[in-house]
Amino acid sequence: MAERMQTCNLSENNFEQCTKCSICTTVCPVAAVTTDYPGPKQAGPDGERYRLKDPAYFDKALKLCLNCKRCEVACPSGVHIADIIQQARMRASEGKRASLRDTMLANTDLLGTVANLVAPVANTTLGLFPTKLVMHSVMAIDKHRTFPAYSRQKFTTWFKRHAAKEQDSYSQHVSYFHGCYVNYNFPKLGQDLVKILNAIGYGVHLLDKEQCCGVALIANGLYKQAKRQARTNIDNIRTSMNRDHRVVLTTSSSCTFNMRDEYPSMLGIDNADVRDNINLATRFIYNLVDEEKIKLIFKQNYKRRLAYHTACHMQRMGWQLYSIELLRMIPGMDLVELEQECCGISGTYGFKKENYERSQAIGSILFKSIEEAQVEAVTTDCETCKWQIEMSTGLPVENPISVLADALDVEATRRANGIK
Amino acid sequence: MVTTDIYKKEYDVIIVGGGATGAGTARDCALRGLSVLLVERNDYSTGATGRNHGLMHSGARYAVTDGESASECISENMILRRIARHCVEETDGLFITLPEDDLQYQQTFVEACQRAGIRADVIDPDEARRIEPAVNPELIGAVRVPDAAIDPFRLTVANLLDARLHGADTLNYHEVEGLVISQGHVEGVKLFNKLEGTHVEVRGRVVVNAAGIWGQRIAQQAGINISMFPARGALLIFGHRVNNMVINRCRKPANADILVPDDTVCVIGTTSDRIPIETVDDMRVTREEVDVLLKEGIKIAPSLATTRIIRAYAGVRPLVASDNDPSGRSISRGIVCLDHAKRDGLEGFITITGGKMMTYRLMGEIATNAVCAKLGNTAPCVTASQPLPGSEPDAPDQKDATKRYSFGQRAAIGRHGSLAARIEKDNDIDNALVCECEGVTVGEIKYAVHQLHVHNLVNLRRRTRVGMGTCQGKLCSCRAASLMGEFNGNVKAAQEDLAAFLDERWKGMRPVAWGDTLREAQLTSMIYEGLCGLDMAVNMEGKEDVQ
Amino acid sequence: MRMDTVIMGGGLSGLACGISLAKRGKRVTIVASGQSTMFFNGGSMELLGCVNDKTVENPLEAIASLPESHPYHKVGVDRIASIAERVKLLFSDSGIDMTGSANANHWRITPMGIAKPAWLTLNDHLRIDDLNQLPAKRLALMCIRGYFDQPNSMLAEGLRNLGFEVDMIEFTTDDITALRRSPSEMRATSLAKHLVSNNALQRIADQFNNLAENADMVLMPSVFGQSDSSDFQTLQARTNKPLRLVATLPPSVAGMRMMKQLRHYFKMLGGTYLMGDTALSGTFDGDRLTSITTAKLADMPLKADNFVLATGSFISRGLKADFERVYEPILGVDVDADADPEQWTRFGVLQPQAYFGYGVATDNQLRCLKQGKPIQNLRAIGSVLSGHDAVKMGDGTGVSLLTAIAAADQIRENK
Repeated sequence: MAERMQTCNLSENNFEQCTKCSICTTVCPVAAVTTDYPGPKQAGPDGERYRLKDPAYFDKALKLCLNCKRCEVACPSGVHIADIIQQARMRASEGKRASLRDTMLANTDLLGTVANLVAPVANTTLGLFPTKLVMHSVMAIDKHRTFPAYSRQKFTTWFKRHAAKEQDSYSQHVSYFHGCYVNYNFPKLGQDLVKILNAIGYGVHLLDKEQCCGVALIANGLYKQAKRQARTNIDNIRTSMNRDHRVVLTTSSSCTFNMRDEYPSMLGIDNADVRDNINLATRFIYNLVDEEKIKLIFKQNYKRRLAYHTACHMQRMGWQLYSIELLRMIPGMDLVELEQECCGISGTYGFKKENYERSQAIGSILFKSIEEAQVEAVTTDCETCKWQIEMSTGLPVENPISVLADALDVEATRRANGIK
Repeated sequence: MVTTDIYKKEYDVIIVGGGATGAGTARDCALRGLSVLLVERNDYSTGATGRNHGLMHSGARYAVTDGESASECISENMILRRIARHCVEETDGLFITLPEDDLQYQQTFVEACQRAGIRADVIDPDEARRIEPAVNPELIGAVRVPDAAIDPFRLTVANLLDARLHGADTLNYHEVEGLVISQGHVEGVKLFNKLEGTHVEVRGRVVVNAAGIWGQRIAQQAGINISMFPARGALLIFGHRVNNMVINRCRKPANADILVPDDTVCVIGTTSDRIPIETVDDMRVTREEVDVLLKEGIKIAPSLATTRIIRAYAGVRPLVASDNDPSGRSISRGIVCLDHAKRDGLEGFITITGGKMMTYRLMGEIATNAVCAKLGNTAPCVTASQPLPGSEPDAPDQKDATKRYSFGQRAAIGRHGSLAARIEKDNDIDNALVCECEGVTVGEIKYAVHQLHVHNLVNLRRRTRVGMGTCQGKLCSCRAASLMGEFNGNVKAAQEDLAAFLDERWKGMRPVAWGDTLREAQLTSMIYEGLCGLDMAVNMEGKEDVQ
Repeated sequence: MRMDTVIMGGGLSGLACGISLAKRGKRVTIVASGQSTMFFNGGSMELLGCVNDKTVENPLEAIASLPESHPYHKVGVDRIASIAERVKLLFSDSGIDMTGSANANHWRITPMGIAKPAWLTLNDHLRIDDLNQLPAKRLALMCIRGYFDQPNSMLAEGLRNLGFEVDMIEFTTDDITALRRSPSEMRATSLAKHLVSNNALQRIADQFNNLAENADMVLMPSVFGQSDSSDFQTLQARTNKPLRLVATLPPSVAGMRMMKQLRHYFKMLGGTYLMGDTALSGTFDGDRLTSITTAKLADMPLKADNFVLATGSFISRGLKADFERVYEPILGVDVDADADPEQWTRFGVLQPQAYFGYGVATDNQLRCLKQGKPIQNLRAIGSVLSGHDAVKMGDGTGVSLLTAIAAADQIRENK
């Protein structure tokens, strides 16, 4: 025992490594726009010492935290500031019920299943001004918000009808965790991924079962349900890994971050054995190119000027360089890397009436920099950033996988990789 | 009252020493209608009062070895829960038996507790692990007792406040240079005002020596010998509470066998070493002491091995040899009250010493009884029933989750009880936090400076917890110094005060300066020396420790 | 992922080195474990401020007399002057406007009003070239009401000691009052974020023009310009007196801005900056480092021809101390430090502390030693180096910048 004394300083979420340097407070997007939020240092490590003494020290203003994790990225001491805040919220919410609005927003898959069935009606209804007013006043969902359009056909339906069969013909295989957004709102992204992966010789498969990753459930305090879904997902990912020997790819930075990092820290779900096998598609593809296992051949005369926005959770994962480097492989790509700023939406946060103005104020720095970049479109790995940026700047926003699929000369790539 | 007016008065009783005992005695005397002056050579509670565990013993620790002390403890323990609510946190305590200890001792211990009237429930080790997850999981036995945590700074200030409310005068930074003796009677004290550098005499009919270990010197000034045996104890403060109950070892008292949750931190201690009386002012902790504390502390709560230590400190217990055994072999931990008229033929002089911080009230009562006997005062003692200011029955509770207090307000209620109402909080500036670790606002600093006898930042820290968080005053001390400079208009002094404060913080950090505590120290130097150039503005050489 | 050079540490030194290499077309990745100690900077760079308790007037001259163990000797004393000039160029290329000279220190004014020797100071900050010729006679020291990270009375007293006449004038505007509603978040940096609109700046200028009539120069805390100096220039244009800033307690707006500008320039040159990632370990092949593993990139290590260790001192966790030893935590390279923990520190907070001089051991080419032998492609720069004392000698930023450029040169020359 004696020789191991005081070799390190362990504390829950490293809160005691905090040197009170206050750097986190300089990057917090919420504290920058409202004085109601005490800032990450106060809400996080400072408050935690007192909450350990007595839970009465919990401050309701902590719900203003976006969980964007920018404080953690900036912290020179490795303190998991946002985790401290989220866990304090979790402890304080025990035994309390979430509101109908929060439950609805959080259940992205439930909402999606219903909406897909009645997509034209849903899109119209959710977009109609009277409906919006009802949602604004009764549900407290802000009237400025446009709900993302729902697709008529789910990704999984498309996949089973048009793609599933031929996947076994490839020599290598991956599983794809498509997430709610691809399934209900934007199947094209999933189709783009299948196109690219097939072209480089990988067959794509769905998990036996997939549920919403639960990022919105966690944000809205529905921890029990989040835990249930997390367990289902991790079990199915484990099956993919152990039974099928397939890594699991995603096209959403938030789903990826949530399943890799928030499952253990927020929900206490042990994912240690599968965590390394949950990978973002851009990172997976970049690595194959980097190790010269595959080749990508791009269309000739392709020319685009895009701005890359690093989503907050992408930044927290530290993987933006893979998406950026992958895009920079495209000849004719003029990519502007935007200074990392939060867009303000943070999943469902910006949908809530009480957060709308704050949300837009937070995003304003980013919107301005996008405007200044003078680009034809923005690219980012996060779907909620996409909604926010599209609504606020009017520019189209694409996932890097879609950009890549668009630029890829599929036939030439297949040939280069020896795929028939 | 203006200090020079105090000098002109003649008091019934002058109390020497501004620790818990002196403050408790001053309160008791004042409540019984005596005119009282208390003098303290440094700040209040700078001696043993401010340098212990902050443990409100149930008495269980002494039950086996000293039944009388144990009984005193449990009866005072119950009294303090009533009269000093805002200074006490009712945590309860565990006495744990580890595999290396003799489980037989547990039975002896429980029986002794019962004899002393201390509730002692043997609980299952599983139950102990459940109610106190920090405890060493290898424990083989546990007893639950009514230990608690107490804040000695708050306790002392509350006693002084009440004494003042009842007419007492108190002076800090007034050192007793000698006693005024005339024809076998002590008639007053000769004082040195350390703030102004002046010498004065103040007259009083009785002088009470409540100066703790320094009481030997006071007595010497009257030509009286009291054999004190200073026992030094070092302690470590960890950055946060790993435990929420007091944890003791269930064995004969030894080194580092108590871990106490104190406010936002926890404290392990103590070592116990006899030291020469000449060294009682050197409170620097050595590496050997840190080593012992850590090695033993880890046995109580293994997580201490990987928990950040924010500082180390030491205090000196005033143990007194009984008069018939000056060698010191039979030393009592009990209360010693000496009437020097009977003992040494010197009238008007009483020494109250020995005892423990938590029996301060009883010591005050005993001393006051002795004073009253001399002065013919027959008023009864009410200190056991009358709550201290801040702890009235209707005082607000920091743990009241139904109230929507701000962080600063809640922390202030925790520190000042009902007196927190005196803190200005009606505008944004008064509500602004100066110390963010501990939630100290501008308003609270104003209150402390104007109403709690604060002369420097170290005083301010004792009254408010400014700079007591993990950063040890890195950012708040400059804010606080600058505010104080504005309040008292002396900028140069504010800078010197700031340097002295940082030095006092460093004194506690240096023995544990590794890991994040060293990082913190480096950042402090980078800010105050590198960025600000404080070292170029202040000459610290030859400066006495500012207590 | 393969790079020409991977730099561990994204502070002043790492960025200067990265820019220097990227400018020559090298593929450079910087791994930055959070923000840097520039957040505690006062708007100046120091080359050498003090030797043996004596204030240095001419740093170039004084550098020659430093002990051999000082990092400046590894830069090459004869090259210091030219590298110092290149640093100035690097700053101006990044959009940072600073003035100063390597052979004549000027004085910067600290938040406590003390004059400290400096090499370069931001043009919008108060700088004194000659204490006998002050840039103004009468200063209006504008104190923001409710802002506590500027010890105003200490600052005023210090300025008076230097010979200025100082009027302390408290002021506020609606924007500032609104910000003070937060009990904890009124920082220099939050002021800088809020005081950006033309209207907000105009309201401040109005106050200055009303209240500072009698002064030759208006002085106020450095709370402007989170990304460039345009907010300051707007304010100056609307204020009818010369305006200067003075450093505040941290977090430092000037430091934050400089880091932003350097980072932006580095990225513009094609560099990759991994903010919030941490180098964990390295793989060696004989006397060469082949790759490093980071926390975030995990199973995809960063390979490179050359590596630079710019991880800073204890505060930045480039060095670690535990109960028994001082060590370099990522690569386990040799450190110069006392073995006996008693020697690391001493009582007396303002006394020189030995640990400030600790750092990684290098050969005369700044190459890190491992078990006494140099690692051929691993160089250490900045505060992680042993043999200097940023606080007592006033050489912290200078060592960071000069060793960064020197290492970049060596990397190129060794090719």
